[in-house]
Amino acid sequence: MKNEYIPYPAIIEAIQTESFDTRTLKVRFKDKRLRDSFDYKPGQFVEISVLGAGEAPISITSSPSRKGFLEFTVRAVGKVTKAIHKLKVGDTVYLRGPYGNSFPFEEAKNRNLLFVAGGIGLPPLRSVINMAFDNRDDFGNIKILYGAKAPDELCFKEELKIWQGIPQAEVLLTVDKPANGWKGNIGVVTTLWKKTEISPKDAIAYVCGPPIMIKFVLQKLLESGFKPDNIYVSLERYMKCGIGKCGHCNIGDKFACIDGPVFSFGQIKELPDKEREI
Amino acid sequence: MKSALINKSDIRLLLKEASREWNIYAPLEVQGGDVNFCCLPKENIKEALNRVTLDDKWIPVPPKDLFFPQLESLFEIKKNKIEETVEYSKKLLFGIKAYDYQGILFSDEFFKRTFQDNYYLSRTKDRLVIIKSCLTPPRQNACFCTSAKTGPFLDKDFDIQLVDIGEAYLVEIGSKRGEDFILKYKRFFKLCSNSEVDKALTVKEKAVDSIELKIDFSRAVELMKGKEPPEEIYKKIAQRCIHCGGCIYVCPTCTCFNVFDDKENEAMIRYRNWDTCVFEGFTREASGFNPRETKWLRASRRYEHKLWYDYKTTGKSGCVGCGRCLTSCPVELGMSKFIQEITA
Repeated sequence: MKNEYIPYPAIIEAIQTESFDTRTLKVRFKDKRLRDSFDYKPGQFVEISVLGAGEAPISITSSPSRKGFLEFTVRAVGKVTKAIHKLKVGDTVYLRGPYGNSFPFEEAKNRNLLFVAGGIGLPPLRSVINMAFDNRDDFGNIKILYGAKAPDELCFKEELKIWQGIPQAEVLLTVDKPANGWKGNIGVVTTLWKKTEISPKDAIAYVCGPPIMIKFVLQKLLESGFKPDNIYVSLERYMKCGIGKCGHCNIGDKFACIDGPVFSFGQIKELPDKEREI
Repeated sequence: MKSALINKSDIRLLLKEASREWNIYAPLEVQGGDVNFCCLPKENIKEALNRVTLDDKWIPVPPKDLFFPQLESLFEIKKNKIEETVEYSKKLLFGIKAYDYQGILFSDEFFKRTFQDNYYLSRTKDRLVIIKSCLTPPRQNACFCTSAKTGPFLDKDFDIQLVDIGEAYLVEIGSKRGEDFILKYKRFFKLCSNSEVDKALTVKEKAVDSIELKIDFSRAVELMKGKEPPEEIYKKIAQRCIHCGGCIYVCPTCTCFNVFDDKENEAMIRYRNWDTCVFEGFTREASGFNPRETKWLRASRRYEHKLWYDYKTTGKSGCVGCGRCLTSCPVELGMSKFIQEITA
């Protein structure tokens, strides 16, 4: 019987600075067999350990269509994530997973995809975005609406430009506080609705970001005619074990770690009102 | 059901003999007169056996820590090598109350479902349980196992159950494991007659009747299924609750935990320890955002989890009616009082 609590060592191959407090790590499992067999779906997460600091659930931002390595985008806010930021290329982290359910992918084929992200909410969506681009012919148009507090805080700045250049793909950016040279939109992510046509026709929406953003985006999507079952949200909760035992991430009778983290808005509405913030 | 008899005076002899093969856990009188569920030390078994009590005594702490210790190490990493913690022993739980056994079975199912929890489950391997329930409730204002349908006696799903019929115990055998145990130690057991079985029936009926506190579980579940109890009830509870976590620590089915690392010399050790939803930090995220920041939300979480979410997921209530949450509570809150309030 496999002991789910045991993590496996992985070496940090590259570190990309996204902003003053956010980095993307590229890692490879030390064990070659594990490297080859580790399979995951977009939206899933792993538990990352920094020995001595502890363990934190971090969503996988790389796409399952690009094999052999894993990427995680980490904002330094807590004990473990701050410890992750102290690591250098060549250092070891310990991983276990993948855990949780995933964003719909097969079901989304032949449809238009709308991604709405805020701040550090883009990394979990990036996994499904790149998987869709790697299977470009299977999907209709792909729209990415992304907002951050300031231009410096946008993640994957170079990749956003690459996505923009892909046929039938549109990337719209916005920031709350513009800095010098910012020519894009100013305002919260829902202000982008004025800049493009958001149609629910044959479309599926993926949302991730801070709770307050999710709340307003859901409202906007419903106003635009999206049905609750065509809206998918990745819900964040404080987690410890990742396998439905420690109890920290429970919402009603569900665990964000095993029943989620991805829920359709239809499912979210079934959760008790007082236990959900959106 | 197969039955046998054992003289009360033979119980200690049986335990002494069985202790060669088993780690025995039994209710022991400790200093100050309290009764705790303890492991009988093999090196000093005689003294410990003298302190084993099978009277209808209140046992303030359930035996959940035998399988889910308050603090345990999960693994150790030293010089890049991971060493898993493995704890296994043959355990004989002797003199456990029926509702506590139901609590153990409830937790077994939880740790088995979806992802298996090796640490908990390895401790449950080779476990034999001998139930000895109360004939009268040790705390009339707290005990409500009849309402929770977890006792005082079980009809099925047990290994061995003792019924006090005076000079002797009627020994009911409920599983193959239980039968094997009786056969192995058969020199301590005698055949029983129909009259003794009948006597045990009367004793059981009397025991059931002796419990005065009646709590309407099914009505509570119905209420929660339809409309949640009004916020005002939880707010009233939250005003009194001091969020000490006492009720959770003594609850046979509360199993939430925290995970943390510690460094000891060259090694890094990962531990887990009991944690609880009534603590503010339980759901607080690193960003500071906390979905259950307000006290009343944490109060409602505990009651709704035990009574409604557990029922919805498993078909069983997470409350076994032991009454410990009430007796441990510094401000006299507890599951029975909560149900009484919402069903009044």
